[in-house]
Amino acid sequence: MKPKKITIDPVTRVEGHGKVTIKIDENGKVSDAYLHVVEFRGFEKFIQGHPYWEVPIIVQRLCGICPVSHHLAAAKAIDQLVGIDPENLSPTATKLRKLLHYGQVFQSHALHFFYLASPDLLFGIDAPVEKRNIVAVATENRELAKKGILMRKFGQEIITSLSGKKIHGTLAVPGGVHKAFTPKQLEYFLDGKQIPNIDTMITWSQEVIEFIKSFHLDNSEWVDNFAAYPSNHLGLVDKISGALELYDGRIRSIDSKGNELLNIEDIEYRNHFKEGVEAWSYLKFPYMTKYGRENGWNRVGPLARLNTCSHIPTPLAEIERQQFKAYTKNKPNNMTMHTHWARLIELLHCAENMKELLLDEDIMGSDLVRKGIPRKRGIGVIEAPRGTLIHEYHIDDKGLITKCNLIVSTTFNNEAINQGVRSVSESVLNNKPEITEPMLNQIEMAIRAYDPCLSCATHALGQMPLIVQLEDNQGNLLDEKIR
Amino acid sequence: MKKLDNILIIGIGNNTRQDDGLGWCFLDLLENEGFNKENLVYKYQLMVEDADLISNYEKVIFVDACKSKISNGFSITPLAPSKEVSFSTHAVPPNQILNLCENIYHKKPITSLLKIQGYYWNIEIGLSKLAKLNLKKAISYFIRQCEK
Repeated sequence: MKPKKITIDPVTRVEGHGKVTIKIDENGKVSDAYLHVVEFRGFEKFIQGHPYWEVPIIVQRLCGICPVSHHLAAAKAIDQLVGIDPENLSPTATKLRKLLHYGQVFQSHALHFFYLASPDLLFGIDAPVEKRNIVAVATENRELAKKGILMRKFGQEIITSLSGKKIHGTLAVPGGVHKAFTPKQLEYFLDGKQIPNIDTMITWSQEVIEFIKSFHLDNSEWVDNFAAYPSNHLGLVDKISGALELYDGRIRSIDSKGNELLNIEDIEYRNHFKEGVEAWSYLKFPYMTKYGRENGWNRVGPLARLNTCSHIPTPLAEIERQQFKAYTKNKPNNMTMHTHWARLIELLHCAENMKELLLDEDIMGSDLVRKGIPRKRGIGVIEAPRGTLIHEYHIDDKGLITKCNLIVSTTFNNEAINQGVRSVSESVLNNKPEITEPMLNQIEMAIRAYDPCLSCATHALGQMPLIVQLEDNQGNLLDEKIR
Repeated sequence: MKKLDNILIIGIGNNTRQDDGLGWCFLDLLENEGFNKENLVYKYQLMVEDADLISNYEKVIFVDACKSKISNGFSITPLAPSKEVSFSTHAVPPNQILNLCENIYHKKPITSLLKIQGYYWNIEIGLSKLAKLNLKKAISYFIRQCEK
């Protein structure tokens, strides 16, 4: 057999433009496989020279899916430039920002499950390509599609009510927020007259967890083994209790067996992380300095967060977390496809948190902005829907940005996704004479489990289309499939 | 106030990319002309949930900038639902939104696509002179139709 190289380009049902290359040797075995990210943006460079107060507004243009995450990570960093640490923000500002954040994670997780992942789960990996999409889900599972749309809408309405727009609105200003919630807005989310209310969101989140648990019961061998591999896991945890924390906490990493590798204050990240580069991708490879490039990489996102936290501080999601953990006898879960399950537990957690915040009078308070002694450097770390997100800014005496560093969730997951691509390529392509559509889809599924946002990760403009190319061991292109 | 009643007008585009802002500018002009802004919706791109949005209206007009040449600078054409699926659910064409609306909500709003020709697409705020001319023609035509 001649050696060959397969390329998947573009990778579908992900945000951004990715390409997969798989090399097959003369014995028909996969010799190497990797995900290239072929967009370039340069956001870190062109933010330089802008006044610091513009940053939370500008950087959210990194993404049309998770702009709120960039807005809030930047806002946390900019707070420090005006002398305000997270604990010094007013309760009203903190709670409004958290409500915005939970609304964002809720809508993003709903979008991923219903629009991107559900076609694979409902129709199977062998389903024809024309069926693996939200239109087929809508045609055959009308009620599920409706719920998906309305759950995403609820999250987006929370975002709109707080920031003025569904995409690229503004809530945070240096040291706080510029507006509070109003009684009329509150009624909209509680009375269920115009949109299903927050209690319905909690009920539907529970229903969709039941769906994934039932799917797991029926397909456990595949779900447990597909793209499974040991890794470190990284996420924010509550500074005191170690609970799941999405807005502000300590950075914690554990290895695949549960040994703690790192537990640091978020603003110390620079002392503990480096970013590797490869010639074949614009996406960097972050790793923990102490453990080196080979052993220091982490998974981030829902699965990693449920592995690193001690518990979930909302009751219904905590019950689900306990069942999730019981499956691996309280050991870390390294099964990639369980990320979907973990994501839905977080969906419920967000719904519960939104309810708690909507019922909190502080969100209608008037103490919105605070100031302290200005500083020259600010670091904001939050858990975006796809994982840990870091923004760092330095300013000069005029308040203009002189340096910016962004490490986004998909960048953290870069090595993990590549491991997934290798693992699935070996299991589905070794010694196979022909590349079939279901084979390519399985490779995409390994990538899709991380819900990567390639545009964010390269900080990209332009189109977002998966290429799979088949190459011989000399690098000559032998076959190509493009979608 | 000129009420659009049960007509929704969706402007698609990005006003920071020169003529890609045509869809939004069209809505700005309608508001200036006194049309009620509740029925004017600004979008960077269409997404699946827009099927829910359009299901609430009898008529929907999508307004977007167009790269290809249009003889009069603009054109308005009826839309039919399409069963094709774009590779990304982060940007869905109007005819697929219409298909989703029919499938999920069993509603069939009368839908049109108003295309206005643009010429420049760089990172800059403001329409080109030629695009402004086309916009003016399109808005005049639209208002005349409303008056009829």
